[in-house]
Amino acid sequence: MGKKLLLEHINVPGIETFEVYRKQGGYASVEKALKTMTPDAVTEEVKKSGLRGRGGAGFPAGMKWSFLDRKSEKPRYLVCNADESEPGTFKDRYLMEKIPHILVEGMITSSFALGARTSYIYVRGEYMYVIRILEKAIAEAYANGFLGKNILGTDYSLDLYVQPGAGAYICGEETALLESLEGKRGNPRLKPPFPAIAGLYASPTVVNNVETIAAVVPIVNMGGDEYAKIGIGKSTGTKLISASGHINKPGVYEIELGLPVEEFIYSDEYCGGIWKGRKLKACVPGGSSVPILPGELLLKTAKGEQRLMTYESLSDGGFVSGSMLGSGGFIVYDETACIVRNLWTFARFYHHESCGQCSPCREGTGWMEKVLHRIEHGHGQASDIDLLVDVAKKIEGNTICPLGDAAAWPVASAIRHFREEFEFHVKHPEKVVNPKHFEITPFVSERVAVIG
Amino acid sequence: MATIIIDCKTYEVPLGKNVLETCLNLGFDVPYFCWHPGLGSVGACRQCAVKVFKDADDKKGRLVMSCMEPVVHNQHLAVHDADTIDFRKQVIEWLMTNHPHDCAVCDEGGSCHLQDMTVMTGHHERRFTFNKRTYKNQDLGPFLNHEMNRCIQCYRCVRFYKDYAGGKDLDAYASKNNVYFGRAEDGVLENEFSGNLAEICPTGVFTDKTLKEHYTRKWDLTMSPSICQHCSVGCNTIAGERYGALRMIHNRFHEKINGYFLCDRGRFGYEFVNAENRIKQPSINGDVVERTELETRLEKIMKSAKVIGIGSPRASLQSNFALKTLVGEDNFYHGVSDHEHDLAELAVRILKDGPVRTPSTKEIEKSDAIFVLGEDLTNTAPIVALAVRQAVRQDLSGEPEKIHIQGWQDAARKNLQQQRKMPLYSATIHETKLDDICTSANYATPEDIARLGFAVAHCVDHNSPAPEHFPEALQVRARSIANGLLAAKNPTIISGAGCASSAVMKAAANVAIALHKNGIVVGLTYTMLECNSMGLTMIGGHRLSAAFNAVINGHADTLILLENDLFRHGSFAEVGDFLARCKNVIVLDHTKSDSTDRASVVIPAGTFAESDGIIVNNEGRAQRFFQVYESTESIQESWRWIINIGKTLQHPKLQTWQNFEDISKAMASEEPMLQNIDEVNPAVDFRIVGQRIPREPHRFSGRTSMHAHIQVSEQKPPTDDDSPLSYTMEGTRIQPPSAMIPFYWSPGWNSVQSVAKYQHEVGGSLKDGDSGIRLLEANAASSLVYFQGIPEAFVPLEHHLWIVPTYHIFGSEEMSAKSASIQKRIPTPYLLISAVDANIYHLKEQDIIKVSIANISYSFPIKINRNIPVGMAALPYGLCDAPINALPEWGIVETSPLTELHDYVRKTKVQH
Ligand SMILES: Cc1cc2nc3c(=O)[nH]c(=O)nc-3n(C[C@H](O)[C@H](O)[C@H](O)COP(=O)(O)O)c2cc1C
Ligand code: SF4
Ligand code: SF4
Ligand code: SF4
Ligand code: FES
Repeated sequence: MGKKLLLEHINVPGIETFEVYRKQGGYASVEKALKTMTPDAVTEEVKKSGLRGRGGAGFPAGMKWSFLDRKSEKPRYLVCNADESEPGTFKDRYLMEKIPHILVEGMITSSFALGARTSYIYVRGEYMYVIRILEKAIAEAYANGFLGKNILGTDYSLDLYVQPGAGAYICGEETALLESLEGKRGNPRLKPPFPAIAGLYASPTVVNNVETIAAVVPIVNMGGDEYAKIGIGKSTGTKLISASGHINKPGVYEIELGLPVEEFIYSDEYCGGIWKGRKLKACVPGGSSVPILPGELLLKTAKGEQRLMTYESLSDGGFVSGSMLGSGGFIVYDETACIVRNLWTFARFYHHESCGQCSPCREGTGWMEKVLHRIEHGHGQASDIDLLVDVAKKIEGNTICPLGDAAAWPVASAIRHFREEFEFHVKHPEKVVNPKHFEITPFVSERVAVIG
Repeated sequence: MATIIIDCKTYEVPLGKNVLETCLNLGFDVPYFCWHPGLGSVGACRQCAVKVFKDADDKKGRLVMSCMEPVVHNQHLAVHDADTIDFRKQVIEWLMTNHPHDCAVCDEGGSCHLQDMTVMTGHHERRFTFNKRTYKNQDLGPFLNHEMNRCIQCYRCVRFYKDYAGGKDLDAYASKNNVYFGRAEDGVLENEFSGNLAEICPTGVFTDKTLKEHYTRKWDLTMSPSICQHCSVGCNTIAGERYGALRMIHNRFHEKINGYFLCDRGRFGYEFVNAENRIKQPSINGDVVERTELETRLEKIMKSAKVIGIGSPRASLQSNFALKTLVGEDNFYHGVSDHEHDLAELAVRILKDGPVRTPSTKEIEKSDAIFVLGEDLTNTAPIVALAVRQAVRQDLSGEPEKIHIQGWQDAARKNLQQQRKMPLYSATIHETKLDDICTSANYATPEDIARLGFAVAHCVDHNSPAPEHFPEALQVRARSIANGLLAAKNPTIISGAGCASSAVMKAAANVAIALHKNGIVVGLTYTMLECNSMGLTMIGGHRLSAAFNAVINGHADTLILLENDLFRHGSFAEVGDFLARCKNVIVLDHTKSDSTDRASVVIPAGTFAESDGIIVNNEGRAQRFFQVYESTESIQESWRWIINIGKTLQHPKLQTWQNFEDISKAMASEEPMLQNIDEVNPAVDFRIVGQRIPREPHRFSGRTSMHAHIQVSEQKPPTDDDSPLSYTMEGTRIQPPSAMIPFYWSPGWNSVQSVAKYQHEVGGSLKDGDSGIRLLEANAASSLVYFQGIPEAFVPLEHHLWIVPTYHIFGSEEMSAKSASIQKRIPTPYLLISAVDANIYHLKEQDIIKVSIANISYSFPIKINRNIPVGMAALPYGLCDAPINALPEWGIVETSPLTELHDYVRKTKVQH
């Protein structure tokens, strides 16, 4: 059994209430931080912990905190990104739904460290029931003196608000989120300036993912050094993985970083192997925007090393033969999955969610979706495949925000690894008429083997 | 300065600009969409990509958006390497995936920035083989056509409309490749600067509806540099004609006045030129006569008559001066009410003799504090209102610079600025469209506005007189305005003839002089009521009442009335009586009016489009407008008619004049305030490499066939004896001097974006400098002392309303109100009264109130306003048949009040 830092008490009945959460040792980090530590000392612990952003980009949280402009006379803000909308990612919802106080606690401790007096949790509009849960938790925290004026009798005061979004994936991008929070259209901002200098209301702001903020709780409780001992190298601590797809036990798992991918898929403690006794074909290991990997490259790197659930190992081989840990949305495909259909689904999503601000993403995603639709439905042309590669390549790196990249990478990687499948669709339109075509007869590749 | 390397060549360029501007300035054709010199960068379209390299050894480089990349020292850039070329082509291909390619039927076709950029990038092959997105268009009112399918989502329109012009009813809706730019629902685009969308939009989404009505390609127009005639700002325009009708008014860039923009009155007011009620033939007593007959009859009349001339604030200096010369100085009168006459003279005196300089609109844009007294700028001098908005939008906090955000980084600056604004104080008779950006907006009667102004001046300098019995609450207000102005480095005080009060204008002068005495570089702007109010004043002439008296007393019996409807300047009874008393009323005008109806002789004058002339704007800048086309034989400039009349009379001076240049020279030598006026004019024989400047672009089509139904062989174009411009497509292609640019065009740049090629640097002044000459400069040795004579505080009078004039951008100006498109925007007549007075007289919105003004009874539907002072009412100029020129005046309310309420409400409200 790996260590559980976030989900340790998840099964305790009533853990969603303040009372039970507190009995299980909840809010200790607040007491410790506010009563015995300076804000900088808390930041120092987070730095030492090696905690990396759990929202997708994996940027070291302590470093992000240290960029916050503390010299500014303006108020500082901490904003929690609970917009979780990436296909395949549902860990934040699980955490907030089951154990909301850990997020509230993390917000208080982190806000203290950052010197924020007002903080926000921005939740996607579709999570309305989660918003109610959070609001209840926050009310309890106020009632028990953990929020509001002079928390625990110290001179630190904090107000915490929940702000629902209107349901747009792009509002998870941190600067679009800030625009939306300010009441504007959720278009991402150009950087610079970065939020650490001029974020919410042009004030110094830190935006962190739900899980990142929750992880501050164990870090402060156990000390950054202790936390850093969990995991491997620069991938420290535990990580929530949203496992979905063709596995026996889909769900949210807390793993110690460094767990072998193979163990994660096949161990009964986690995914419990591929369902229906089928074979592993491919996996998107970090949420829909990261490159897809064929089974072989998922379990072993191109160099033949065992692939681990770490930021470094999953990206080993770069985009040629690697992928990314991303937000930990782990989507598994068995041998009957159609890569083209899956990609079309993703493309449809990114097209739909483009904010429409910059040309490559606005026009490119729609075009890619149309081409993929055509290929999947048996109307593709041979030239379509290279067209997709070309369009994706030109989008990548040339947009205002990373949604463009997120739309381009799946296309590039799917064609890189599964080109034969695209060609099959083009060459044999009659064989893909049935939407479940590969469920009936799995596609056999000459280049990419299915595993198991 | 920085040294940068582009495509392996080294350039010295200034720091502080972005790479796109820098490249354009160096002559590189880098394509762009979302960037606009007037709006800055937002990096949205991704069209302007270039490559930057880390250093000389970096061979790979990385693509960046040149509009977002600051110039730095030792920057290595590539504009023409394979990757960037490829990427820029790709961006066009993306944009084209949903663009309808309907160039052949698109109003923008051939003068379209999207076409130009497409050609520039070299994209020509379509790989997108799917259906395109289609939208529903909206009916946006009489000015603009909407064709959303053509949109390339560059966001320029909303950035101009909302951010720059303060509009509220245009937005970006929806997302992905379905973003929609329009209103929440069909309806008139309300902002007064909406027409600029036709130029700002790089495609054919927003196009000029009035042009579309009789559509012609823009390059098929015969075009001249012109000056807008619809207010005293004098914006520079390009006016274009085809088939004998004026078709289009476009912006003509003037760095100091209107930059890239025009207001909707200026852009769409031109249709009066083509209106039904134009005067096209001379007539005597209602009968059309031949020219020769007209001349003999005139000769006869004039020889035996005692003639006076009445000039006009909407006629050119040349026409006014010619009339003055014809009738003699003693017999020349200004065709404006005495009140207006005095206000204009006051403005000229203060600006000429006073120590304070009057700024250009460009300078107003840069002021760091503004105080507006009495003027509803959006309705009286729209482009000044736009400039005020830009001044308020400046962020001079230093915050952006601290984090290395430069001026052109529009999105970042806007975000950093949040609600921060530069101070704008205003005191007006009712709400204005600038209130949303005001630090403090005060509503008061003209008297109380003046008192507030005097109080502010007194706070700034105690030698300036203070109003007596000034309430403490207002004193606090005055002090805070004074402090705001004193904290500024270059504040501007704006006032004008708008609320018809010399006290308000004097108060403004005192504030400015007081600031000046504090060592502050302050500007003082007076906006006037008509396009040449300033010029007419500079020519000199007697007051209108003196003309009335001259006829009553028998000193005169014949009137020559120049381009003027006197009924707009005097009461109906008085003017009617005056005209009736004249034995002969000879009117020179282009459009029928109540005055031409009463004339014995009507002579068809040219409008600005058919005329050459000079007018003087409120900055005291004299500017030349050039004839766009020669009309039918009978229509000609008033000054030309007057020269002709002079010739038949063998007038000693007039008979020596041949053309425009002769009058201008005479004017320069005879009018002390216009000594330099002929510097505004290019010499008639000015040529560029021996060639004239063509009014028609080289792409002009159809000249051999357009008159074929009249005469099969091509007609000889008219010759222009008054200017170096020609009526043909032949002539120089070299850039003419600023005042004489008839249209913008540059190889590969067929849209209005080609203006850049005429500028020193993109967005900066024209290569040849600013046109026009300033006739009013501050007098360093000024002996002007503070004005005294502060009015008493306004006290409401029972059963009375103090009626003051108010203005509408659409409707209040005489000529634009005759334009078909503008007419659709003119509000119905009304009297604006306060909610308190509405209560007193027991009236609801739209109810009729009866008021008697100068013993004549009028009925008006009322509009109720919360902020207009109690006891005061505002009557819109030009909308109602009422003696606006006699205002302000007490009106006796004939609608009966609810007495108890009356006393109660008045007493309590007024005390506040
Ligand atoms: C299109 C897009 C959507 C995103 N959505 C989310 C999201 O739903 N939740 C999240 O935490 N981060 C999301 N991110 C990442 C955020 O921009 C940001 O990096 C993150 O919130 C930072 O938090 P962290 O450092 O704690 O990971 C998204 C990024 C992009 C480009
Ligand atoms: S990449 Fe897409 S989502 Fe991001 S700013 Fe551009 S259009 Fe919007
Ligand atoms: S309507 Fe015109 S200006 Fe507006 S976004 Fe579309 S192309 Fe740009
Ligand atoms: S501001 Fe005045 S001069 Fe300028 S375009 Fe408008 S009406 Fe014409
Ligand atoms: S002009 Fe630079 S991105 Fe649009």
